[in-house]
Amino acid sequence: MTMTTDIFLQTIVNGLFTGAIYALVAIGLTLIYGVMLILNFAHGEFLMLGMYVSYWAFDLLGLDPYLSLPISALLIFVLGAVIQWGLVNRVLDAHPLNQIILLLGVSTLITGLVQFFWTAQPRVVRVSYETEVFVYQGIRFSVPRTVAFFAAMIISLVLYMFLQKTRTGAAIRAVSQSRSGALLMGINVKSIYMLTFGLGVAVTAVGGSLLTPNYRMIPTVGQTFAVTAFVVVVLGTMGNFIGAFIGGLIIGLVEAFAGFYFGGDVKIIASMLVFILILLFKPSGLFGKKKGI
Amino acid sequence: MELSTKTLGVSRRSWLRQLLGDWDQIQLLISLVVLALIGVVSLFVESPYYMGIMVLTTLYIFTGISWNIVAGFSGQLVIAHIIFLAVGAYTTVVLNNTYGITPWVGILAGGVVAGLLGRVVAFIALRYGLKMDYFALFTIALMVAMKTFFLKWEYVGGAVGMGLSLRDAGFSKMIFSSKEPYLYIILVLTTIGVLVQYFIYQSKMGKYFIAIREDEAAASALGVNTSHYNTLALVIGAAMAGVGGGFYMMYVTYIEPPQVFDLGLNVEIMMAAPIIGGLGSLAGPVLGGILNKPLAEFVRGTLSGGRSGMTLIVYGSFLILVVLLMPRGVTGVLHKAFLKLQRRVTRTNE
Repeated sequence: MTMTTDIFLQTIVNGLFTGAIYALVAIGLTLIYGVMLILNFAHGEFLMLGMYVSYWAFDLLGLDPYLSLPISALLIFVLGAVIQWGLVNRVLDAHPLNQIILLLGVSTLITGLVQFFWTAQPRVVRVSYETEVFVYQGIRFSVPRTVAFFAAMIISLVLYMFLQKTRTGAAIRAVSQSRSGALLMGINVKSIYMLTFGLGVAVTAVGGSLLTPNYRMIPTVGQTFAVTAFVVVVLGTMGNFIGAFIGGLIIGLVEAFAGFYFGGDVKIIASMLVFILILLFKPSGLFGKKKGI
Repeated sequence: MELSTKTLGVSRRSWLRQLLGDWDQIQLLISLVVLALIGVVSLFVESPYYMGIMVLTTLYIFTGISWNIVAGFSGQLVIAHIIFLAVGAYTTVVLNNTYGITPWVGILAGGVVAGLLGRVVAFIALRYGLKMDYFALFTIALMVAMKTFFLKWEYVGGAVGMGLSLRDAGFSKMIFSSKEPYLYIILVLTTIGVLVQYFIYQSKMGKYFIAIREDEAAASALGVNTSHYNTLALVIGAAMAGVGGGFYMMYVTYIEPPQVFDLGLNVEIMMAAPIIGGLGSLAGPVLGGILNKPLAEFVRGTLSGGRSGMTLIVYGSFLILVVLLMPRGVTGVLHKAFLKLQRRVTRTNE
């Protein structure tokens, strides 16, 4: 199959739009890993919770999903901080297997609770602009996905500036480089951990909320995203902020092109293949050993 | 009078001491007694519902053992161990449906194919030095890729999945009208599994597994061929899971990719029993197993009021609580009590 320029550009746009959400989710994952060396196996569930918060706000309060972004971010931030303080904190020095089991437990518990209270029935948020499209230079831009793309870009940038420019951001980066060093400098490592975990899952939840205007949600919707986020994080070097951002866009593009050539279902194989290949040939990712939160 | 009490006391204590000498043997004994009890209780159970729970309980003990050998003994983070079960199940049903080969052979073939897959996974992990988190992620990615692949692979039924023709009932087809025969088959398999696990643990190989788990670099420095033993543990665990998968196929009679390549089922069928019971211990999968399924079933039956999700809530809470409150599981708690008892007996003897 050959691609005309139009289709080529269209595929790139599609890839970048999905990739921006991947980037947001992966940034959250990499932030948590970079600071406390914990792989958040419950990451996808926080994305799912973000979606359900927006659904709830829409269903009960009639709130547009974009207006519920701050609610989703705040609620999930608090939840993440509490989970970090109550559970994750206690396994920071434990065997990796115990950490994984704990977080798989959190993931299973959250999925179960959502299934119990909202049932496994698929939910949709119906907004007026759901299927709206504008065409520019022959390329079709879906309104919700365009909004999601720019929102994800802005949030990533704001988070990056926060980490680079503020005192708290500097403290987070210091803890990621050396826990004991930061402790000696008088940084309250425990609250940094809570803050980081909260932030990490909050941006992920926002990613979920941004998806709601055109995405069906079920209690297990986060799992696919979580696996993709793992791919992205490994691709962009675990613990590297910019790596996760660029990795997200790359995986979005890979999936878009694989989907164009081989069909929708096969694209997940493509990203898994990319993942396995990176693991095999460059497990340290695109950015080598640089952690760089 | 005084003399006789003393003699009696001594003889009783030495008998106790002998029994209390070896925690591993006690764990083996506990495991075998539990399995025997399942067999005895089954004689008095008539309801197919409870028989079904007993079959699955025993199956989960068996698959739990297969994961315990890899993750518990040799410390390799095979998270998506269910891929081996899935491959075993598919092998059994394809051999049966397409080639007419009896499941009695098919289940073993499932073990062989799963073992080969384990060999491939081990090769990749070792060749490219995938450790810890990376290895865990690799197994999960493999599971997702396999799910998509199986969904597209028409030879194994694609998205429709594969089922058994229930008209072929009979011993040679391993399809029975009641649940008792299934229970006896899985009880036999699990007894073998318990013994295999015990002999591995007692053997030099088992000691090497543990040494690698505790400190791979140190074990390697002491001359343990770590890659050889890592591979061995993975192949044995995978092959057992494959056999379990063959049996699972025969029992549930129908499988499809989204069902068997699923992290939820993976937690339920592979991880819950050994984790609750005590990962890496001998009695762990058995003690955890008899709590795992019946408790989940009880909760689902009585507390959920017909709503789905309750089982997941239970499993999730189980995993969290066990990691936080008893990181060595039920067996760990028992072991502590055992050590206390042992100290008391030896002290009174001196």
